[in-house]
Amino acid sequence: MASFTATSISMTSLSTPFKQPLVPSRISSPNSVSLSIRGRTFPSITLQPRVPRFQVTCAAKPETVQKVCDIVKKQLALSDESPVTGESKFSALGADSLDTVEIVMGLEEEFGISVEEESAQTITTVQEAADMIEDLLENKSA
Amino acid sequence: MAFSAYAAATRPSKAEVLSLFRSLLRTARQFPDYNIKAYTKRRTIDGFRHNQNLSDPSSIASALSDGKAQLEIARRQAIVHSLYAPSVRSIMETNSELTC
Repeated sequence: MASFTATSISMTSLSTPFKQPLVPSRISSPNSVSLSIRGRTFPSITLQPRVPRFQVTCAAKPETVQKVCDIVKKQLALSDESPVTGESKFSALGADSLDTVEIVMGLEEEFGISVEEESAQTITTVQEAADMIEDLLENKSA
Repeated sequence: MAFSAYAAATRPSKAEVLSLFRSLLRTARQFPDYNIKAYTKRRTIDGFRHNQNLSDPSSIASALSDGKAQLEIARRQAIVHSLYAPSVRSIMETNSELTC
């Protein structure tokens, strides 16, 4: 019914044909709006570009990264003082491919998520693992 | 010569091996009994580590097919065990901090 040009928009139009209260279910900073109600198109309204109100963060939460580090350390039998950060690559820490699979399995169990076969093969660093976990948790709760 | 060409052509890929590893670990999780779950997991890890350094394609292929047969057995058993799942979970799986 309505078309918005810009980022993610979804609209639900109610089934009553005479009253048309359009209820937007989710809007994020539309740039221009054009409504068509009962076949009549209104002129498009162009909104002024506004600073987005919320920032989309790409990095995972520190607690998640910390939990991933702990699991990696346990799997590879590293001491607590060894430097495992978000940037550490599994191969640099001494993990071979079997270790990586075990680590991903451990992460699945810890966070209650399920990682796809292809995604699991692309994880090489702690940060990537944490980011993917966050994505999966978000998709699960959404 | 023909035989070695056949053997070389059937060398399993790393991805296939890792996929089998992952499938076995996932199947291990399906057992209701903690002991069997732990055993399956331990046995697959040990089995794959034991054969980690194989270089001959035919021995890799035979190890892989053994693994696949074991996977089928484990899958069937997981289903049967789930039909008769114990009502009480093992203490190792209850999420409590017990103080001795």
